[in-house]
Amino acid sequence: MLAGGMAIAALLIYLSVMLIAAHVGRRRRGRIDHHTGMRFILWAGAIGPTILLLVLLLTALPMMRPIEAGARDLAIDVSGEQYWWRVRYRPPGGPAVDAANEIRLPAGRPVLFNLSSPDVLHSFWIPGLAGKMDMIPGRTNRLVIRATRPGRYRGACAEFCGRSHALMRFTVVVMEAQAFDRWLVKQAAPSPAALAQSDARALFRDYGCAGCHAIQPDAIGRRSIGPDLGHVGGRGSIAAGVLPNEEAAIAGFIRHPERTKPGIAMPSFDFMPEADARAIAAWLRSLE
Amino acid sequence: MSVDPQDDPAVRRAQADRLSAVWASPKGLFLRWTDTNNNRVGAWYVITAFAFFLFAGALALLMRAQLAMPDNDLVGPSTFNQLFTLHGSMMMFLFAVPMFEATAMLLLPQLLAARDLPFPRLSAFGYWSFLIGGVFVAGSIFFGAAPDGGWFMYPPLTTEPEQSGIGADIWMLGLSFIEVSSIAAAVELIVGVLKCRPPGMRLNLMPLYAWYILVVAVMILFAFPPLIAGDILFELERLLDWPFFDAARGGDPLLWQHLFWIFGHPEVYIVFLPSIAIFAMVVPTFAQRHMLGYAWIVLAAVGTGFLSFGLWVHHMFTTGLPGISLAFFSAASEAVAIPTAVQIFVFIATLWAGRVVWSTPLLYAAGSLAIFTLGGLTGVMVAIAPFDWQAHDSYFVVAHLHYVLIGGTVLPLIGGLYYYWPLLTRRKLSDRLGKIAFWLMFAGANIAFFPMHFSGLLGMPRRVYSYPEALGVGGLNLASTIGAYLFAAGMAVIVLDLVWPRSHPPVVRNLWNAGTLEWLAETDDTNWGVRSVPIVLSRYPLWDDPDFLRKVDEGRFYLPDAEEGKRETLVTSVIDAVPIQVLRLAGPSIIPLATAVALGGVFILTTFHLYLAATISGIVTLALILFWLWTGTGLQPEKPEKHVGLGLSLPLYISGSRSAGWWAMFITMMGDATAWASLVFGYFFYWTIHPVFPPAAAPGLAGPGVFWPMAAMALILAGWIGTIAARELYARGVVLAARLTLVAATLLSLAGGLASLAGPWLHGLDPARHVYPAIVWVLASWVSAHVAAGIIMQLYCLAGSFAGRLTPQYDGDLRNITVYQHFLALSAAITFPVIGLFPEVAR
Amino acid sequence: MIGKLHARAQQLRATLWTMIVPPSAWAAHFLACYLLAAITCAKLGRTAPVDRTHLIVGGFTLLALLVIAASAFIAWAQRRIEGDPPPHDDSTDEDRLRFLATATLMLAALSAVAVIYVAASALFFEDCR
Repeated sequence: MLAGGMAIAALLIYLSVMLIAAHVGRRRRGRIDHHTGMRFILWAGAIGPTILLLVLLLTALPMMRPIEAGARDLAIDVSGEQYWWRVRYRPPGGPAVDAANEIRLPAGRPVLFNLSSPDVLHSFWIPGLAGKMDMIPGRTNRLVIRATRPGRYRGACAEFCGRSHALMRFTVVVMEAQAFDRWLVKQAAPSPAALAQSDARALFRDYGCAGCHAIQPDAIGRRSIGPDLGHVGGRGSIAAGVLPNEEAAIAGFIRHPERTKPGIAMPSFDFMPEADARAIAAWLRSLE
Repeated sequence: MSVDPQDDPAVRRAQADRLSAVWASPKGLFLRWTDTNNNRVGAWYVITAFAFFLFAGALALLMRAQLAMPDNDLVGPSTFNQLFTLHGSMMMFLFAVPMFEATAMLLLPQLLAARDLPFPRLSAFGYWSFLIGGVFVAGSIFFGAAPDGGWFMYPPLTTEPEQSGIGADIWMLGLSFIEVSSIAAAVELIVGVLKCRPPGMRLNLMPLYAWYILVVAVMILFAFPPLIAGDILFELERLLDWPFFDAARGGDPLLWQHLFWIFGHPEVYIVFLPSIAIFAMVVPTFAQRHMLGYAWIVLAAVGTGFLSFGLWVHHMFTTGLPGISLAFFSAASEAVAIPTAVQIFVFIATLWAGRVVWSTPLLYAAGSLAIFTLGGLTGVMVAIAPFDWQAHDSYFVVAHLHYVLIGGTVLPLIGGLYYYWPLLTRRKLSDRLGKIAFWLMFAGANIAFFPMHFSGLLGMPRRVYSYPEALGVGGLNLASTIGAYLFAAGMAVIVLDLVWPRSHPPVVRNLWNAGTLEWLAETDDTNWGVRSVPIVLSRYPLWDDPDFLRKVDEGRFYLPDAEEGKRETLVTSVIDAVPIQVLRLAGPSIIPLATAVALGGVFILTTFHLYLAATISGIVTLALILFWLWTGTGLQPEKPEKHVGLGLSLPLYISGSRSAGWWAMFITMMGDATAWASLVFGYFFYWTIHPVFPPAAAPGLAGPGVFWPMAAMALILAGWIGTIAARELYARGVVLAARLTLVAATLLSLAGGLASLAGPWLHGLDPARHVYPAIVWVLASWVSAHVAAGIIMQLYCLAGSFAGRLTPQYDGDLRNITVYQHFLALSAAITFPVIGLFPEVAR
Repeated sequence: MIGKLHARAQQLRATLWTMIVPPSAWAAHFLACYLLAAITCAKLGRTAPVDRTHLIVGGFTLLALLVIAASAFIAWAQRRIEGDPPPHDDSTDEDRLRFLATATLMLAALSAVAVIYVAASALFFEDCR
């Protein structure tokens, strides 16, 4: 509303200035005298803008007041890391749930984001839901968002953070509040496929994947160095919103992450046979 | 009535011959580069800055080619990041600011009817520094070593060696070098405007261009030093691991953002105002009347200059600062739109009240107005914090800033090019090509940048080398790319027009029938600027006095001759332009070039960590500077006074606050003090972000104690008083006592400089451990380094006294170093209580 | 009283330094308000109330406006010279003084507006959020 109002006002001002200028440029007769000219400058150049800008300022300042979230609202810690998003849901009274690169929100409830970064500057931006907020090493910034309409929203890193800055995206899924609560309870429990012994699970361990990627909760590893993959099968995309969550894409990414994301911390596994990569990919997709 | 000797054509011809000989440019393949005349150096400056502009524009074309399609892979992210970093940095540091200095250097002396600016060798030095630094920075991209952290260079991405290669050092050191030359130019221009106006040109008659230049040069003086202070901290972190921006060791990346934008926002106006200044000359000419609302323009320029320093946090609206802080900056950002609106309406009113003569320069003025106004309005929008939270770092801002800079800087400069080309070359550029170029660029700019407002609002962040098709901005980006190439085509037409060989005869003098002094420039090759320095009694003397041109040309005003074969110009008083001195100007010399090469060596060798070679280069620089000062400044004239014409006799030497040298020292030290204040700001910034600061005592973290800082302060202040005493004694002719006092002052200063370092040294402060010892070391070293420079000055004066170049009558050097000592005393009187006493209070 | 002040004001010297008194007052006011808010919020936390800050900002504002008003009064007095028709653009002492006074007066108006903008924006905040 603010943006629309300003845009319309700006357009009107712009058109009037251009009309005056065109009039001045075309006119042959009827020049104004010194006195009129000075009056014109005083009113159009000084007093008019002073009043308009004051009105704008006084209208806009109250909008700076942030929405508040209380102690009983959901908090989500998001940490921007080169080039992905570490996510931890902290539901009031419930266990914390780790995730990455996709954020789900309950519609109609305020959610507090605690934003931080362990490496360089990033900025957390969901254009469809809120303004951006920087993630700064050594600081924790707060941002409260109340999403109203369920649906999928795009998110992106808005502060230049290095080579793959352009590829640091994420998805936000706004769900009906009850559906969200059910989903979060499910996330707090391990995925069945993560617990069951399987060849693919063994491959994931043997290739050392688990050294960086935890399968939380309670399956493999604890604090993840890279994105937690505990429920990766339920996410809409992988590699921080860059690749579709499909077997071939995951397998390709495992073997050549650098091709998708220049400057990524993950080493390339180009020695891994395609079949193994496929098997791991299929297993990961089963971690709903 | 007595006979005027100027009535005799033979006398006049002889005078003109002598002037020509004195002002002749050195010829020859090598010698020509030793020229220092503002015409020649200014032209080199303009050409170089324009070349960098074309280069930076070509980089943008590569970027637009990459972004033409979603998920394109023409250039990889590594190249792309270098492209946008270099595009922004070059446009700002190698085009916009130097272009302002270059045009001012070319036009200002002409506008003020001065033969040259007061320090021609300093101008030449600034130019060579700019060229060396610029080629160093720009050339890095051919080695894949260009900076790639964005033109804002935000740490920690840029301070960690694993994250950013040598490019960051090239940016920091290469551009610091250029910033130094910008400050040199600012000093030159301020002194030029204040002290080198023609007699009679009181402040109320100054050409508006000169008002703008004065304001902008003062802004540079206060805007660049915080960046230089930031650069120092930045390089100390990169080279010595002092953790100013490392959160893990108490630093904070936000300090860099503050220092960068305290520079960065005034910078926007620093590049905008000088271009608008050109319009302030173009508009009256093509309205064929005086500017309506002269005082309004002065108000707008001065008001913008001030307000622009209260905007910097609007680049940091999304960093999570308290709302109330953001609101202050939002308010100031709205307020700055008022003087901008005033300027626009003054121009419109002047044209409205005048008789509009359509011409190519005026076409550019109109086009600029159309583009700039839109950029200004989106600027008002992004100054509103809640809107900026969306727009910030998105393509909306890219659109906004390009509208502002194309409408406010680039197109006015091209308009100025078409306006002033006949003045500089005696040829007129093609109106047809100029109009074709205009329409190509006007259409191109709008097609390129208007869609970006929407790409930004749809969620496209800045500085991305690629974007997904699903974002839905493919069409908008394709339009932007087409527009960018159209704009480039327009620029190509301009280049074509510039290099097109012309056979038609030279144009008449004052082709546009303008009213201001720069159009006195003669149409044959004369380097002297003006034939005689006129008495100016109105704002548009060429219109108001029909005989003016003839009287100037016949040498009927001041300094029509160069009897002694020396380059000379008039120095007048600041407010009323009363002539007070004939200033002897330095002629061609290799020293500025040599000094720039040596100083460039210091910065470039440091980039490659060749510290020994850099030190040697530094010593060579110091030697060259001393040689330059000793042989070229403060020279005793062969006679105390000379006749300048019209029965006036003026001294050839003055010292103290009326002289140009004193002003230059004073102005330089204002800039220096600003850099120092930025470091003190850093100290208190760290105090505010830490609950306990200074941190609890631990090995390497103790403070410098109370004793040594206090001792340092006392000694440095004693050295300051000693220098003042020496000056007073010298002025009274008590030479021996003055020398002894100066020796004592030097020794006291030396002891003070050492005591300053003794505090942190003896308490074992380890600057790599935590930001507290690091900032204390920086502050103490800053004062000590200034003491060292002060000692060199004191010794220089002693040597001058013994060599007979400093006498009680010719004591300018001693008076100038006293100004330096005042500032040194000020910095000592604040720094040492801060590092010595504040910890006692804060605990 | 006013007449006497007026006469005194007319005799004061006007220079480039006196011309920039009003915008300098704005700058000092701006910096003081910003530093006050920044330090208060950094030291007391985001929920710290700023009502005391409001009072101090109000004090700063009064002070700044007072300086600006004084400067404007002097400039206004210096602008009024009896029996001197426009345009005032000659190389005379009167016109130079009148120009500096006019510029000062305009800068005073702009500075006052800017001070009021800044002060008004503080009122919209109750704490450091």
